[in-house]
Amino acid sequence: MNVRHFLIGVALPLLLLVASCDQQQKASADTPKTLTLILGEENTEGFDPTLGWGSYGNPLFQSTLLKRDADLHIVPDLATEWKLGAGQLTWTVKIRTGVVFSDGSPLTAGDVAYTFNTAAKAGGVVDLSNLQQAEAIDGRTVLLRLRHPDITFIQHLITLGIVPEKLHGPGYGRKPIGSGPYKLIRWDEGQQMIVEANDHYYGGKPSIKRLVFLFATENAAMSAARAGKVDVLGVSSNLAGQKIPGMTLHAVKSVDNRGLMFPMVPDTGRKTPRGLAIGNHVTSDIAIRKAVNYAINRQALVDAVLDGHGRPAFGAVDDLPWDNPEIRFTDNDPEKAKAILEEAGWQDTDGDGVREKDGRKAEFEILYNTKDSLRQGLALAVSDMLRPVGIKAVPRGENWDRIKNELTHAKVIVYGFGGHSPLEMYKLYHSNGPEPMYWNAGFYANPVVDDYLDQALRAPSFEEAMPLWKKAQWDGKTGLSTPGDATWAWLVNLDHTYFIDRCLDVGRSQIEPHGHGWPITANIDQWQWTCK
Amino acid sequence: MMINSLALDRRTRTMMAILGCLVLFSGIFLAAWLYGEQGQVTNLALRKLPPGWNQPFGTDWLGRDMFARTLKGLRISLEIGLTAATCSAVIALVFGLAAATMGRIVDVVVTWLCDVGMATPHLVLLILISFACGGGAKGVIIAVAASHWPALTRVIRAEVMQLRTSDYIKLSRRLGKSPAWIARHHLLPHVVPQFLVGLLLLFPHAILHAAGLTFLGFGMSPHTPEIGILLAESMRYLSTGMWWLAVAPGLALIISVMAFDVLGNNVRALLDPKTLRE
Repeated sequence: MNVRHFLIGVALPLLLLVASCDQQQKASADTPKTLTLILGEENTEGFDPTLGWGSYGNPLFQSTLLKRDADLHIVPDLATEWKLGAGQLTWTVKIRTGVVFSDGSPLTAGDVAYTFNTAAKAGGVVDLSNLQQAEAIDGRTVLLRLRHPDITFIQHLITLGIVPEKLHGPGYGRKPIGSGPYKLIRWDEGQQMIVEANDHYYGGKPSIKRLVFLFATENAAMSAARAGKVDVLGVSSNLAGQKIPGMTLHAVKSVDNRGLMFPMVPDTGRKTPRGLAIGNHVTSDIAIRKAVNYAINRQALVDAVLDGHGRPAFGAVDDLPWDNPEIRFTDNDPEKAKAILEEAGWQDTDGDGVREKDGRKAEFEILYNTKDSLRQGLALAVSDMLRPVGIKAVPRGENWDRIKNELTHAKVIVYGFGGHSPLEMYKLYHSNGPEPMYWNAGFYANPVVDDYLDQALRAPSFEEAMPLWKKAQWDGKTGLSTPGDATWAWLVNLDHTYFIDRCLDVGRSQIEPHGHGWPITANIDQWQWTCK
Repeated sequence: MMINSLALDRRTRTMMAILGCLVLFSGIFLAAWLYGEQGQVTNLALRKLPPGWNQPFGTDWLGRDMFARTLKGLRISLEIGLTAATCSAVIALVFGLAAATMGRIVDVVVTWLCDVGMATPHLVLLILISFACGGGAKGVIIAVAASHWPALTRVIRAEVMQLRTSDYIKLSRRLGKSPAWIARHHLLPHVVPQFLVGLLLLFPHAILHAAGLTFLGFGMSPHTPEIGILLAESMRYLSTGMWWLAVAPGLALIISVMAFDVLGNNVRALLDPKTLRE
């Protein structure tokens, strides 16, 4: 073990820090092996759930009222009973007895109520604006009052980690105390985070007692993995084709999707209150949007841009329980795309290879985030697939700030979404407020779809909302998907690729949400070593 | 006779070197133009091919021909280098002459600006200016032009100051020649070669710094085939064994930068009155 430590210290200066903790590790040389993970960037804001920690993936240090199992079914965690009151305006949740935080103090309904109220007030990433008031009825019962019926509110019960009222404050994100399976021992920002099993955890004791998360660039991470110094490594799909001795590739399906967002209204000079231009004359024509959808060869995008690690995407919620399978269609059909354009009056009259209609060329820009090579690849490849049908799509790299704050309503943009809640679908397609940023950035509005989505929110239970979510996508006549209004051209769903030590069993992973890396830890308390 | 033929030989070699470099540069422009859209259009069937007959520099992750991309990258680099170096050299000429001829205060100010410019780390200054100009080719050109003039300014200022105090110029003045005549016949032949050579030697810096800026992500749209971008992109594929993505553009960049260096040194040998007769 020491020799290996020495080697890596030489091979990778970054890991010198790990070597500097040698002292501690030597002392515990007999205890089971430490698990070392490199899962992409750290969460520099810290680990405070009321400020958004855990909203994509699991909070690790805290536990939640409910959680999703490997098939995304909702199962209890802290809660033992939960029920929606009459009129869908109250949630009553009973919590387990005998749960304590990692410092030994008991977790009560008061802490739950405090967490929800604080998160609602914080107004950060967690959007709890629908919560009117959370109150503890007794030691183990919490009542959550909503302002209006919203069945997707259950997502907050699944993602919001409970914090202790008396220890929570501005510095909490650096020193989180919670009731999750692990507790934070040490965090050297930008370098590493050391985590140990929480002895007070009420669930099954994790079999791996000590985790080290390293924060490193992709190249440093690969070198460390080759040196045998890492047990779990998240890599982008273009690096997944390599062989790393002692490790196997673990590819996890996800709804981490990428697609082209179309501005849905013509450019009439309208602006948002902040002054962002709205609309685009070309993409507001449904024929263009449909032609784009049918012309693209999604499988080729998967094979080339994702190196085969993914699957074609046809909607924002592919393979989730509320996905409507009827929205699938046969793509890679340039002839159909041409027919659609011809019929709508888009014709190439001047022979330059680009169609025109009413003196306007079938031309638009596809913007992608400069820093994201995957989105760049998609934009370039799609642009080349559209040329043969007579649509000129010009790829352009832009920085994220400009996309978000200037261009989001007037340009075709490669966006990515993919969450574990149907609320995302609601926000992406329901007619929106004046300043939506990237929620329904195209200003789509279809009263029939709005109606289905609103009904789904008001449904008496999560299950009864399902058919309504599906009808919003396509009800046989209209819908937000390609057979209907073709609001987006969804392109691919990524597979999240990880290299994993041969001796590590990570169980069955969920369909992962947007965000490559952290979500794999959703079931980390069940991981185990299989060798020796 | 012996000396004579050697001298001729040296001159011929110099001319040959200059000619060779010029042919190389025009070749790059011509080839990049002839390649048309190739190198920008994706070809998903021909991805990640190693160098071979059909693709001398291999293809990249979207099946684009690296030879065409490298040529286009060089062309963009040369264009940026040319514009930036010219701007920089003109700034240097104006400042240098002003410092040397317009009196003490101007001299102090220009020298101080030179010191500030040279004391600031180049890359930091480049990033700041390019970022402030909103990136893109324009940002890179302005950044490179605005940060490369101090060295040449000093050379020109020193040259002019030294000339002004030299005996033959004082003598000229005593003989009643006008300042314009002196400038034309005694100053110009010394300053022009300094300027031209300074300009040529600025090129490699400009090209390298422009490539460095785009490598760091402060330059153009990341799908532009620019050498810095090609190199930055190749870094991600080095560990997967696609060495050709880095080697080909890297070598091409080094060769063209060296060609400029050779060109600059040879032009100096030809133009400088001190080495003119060698």
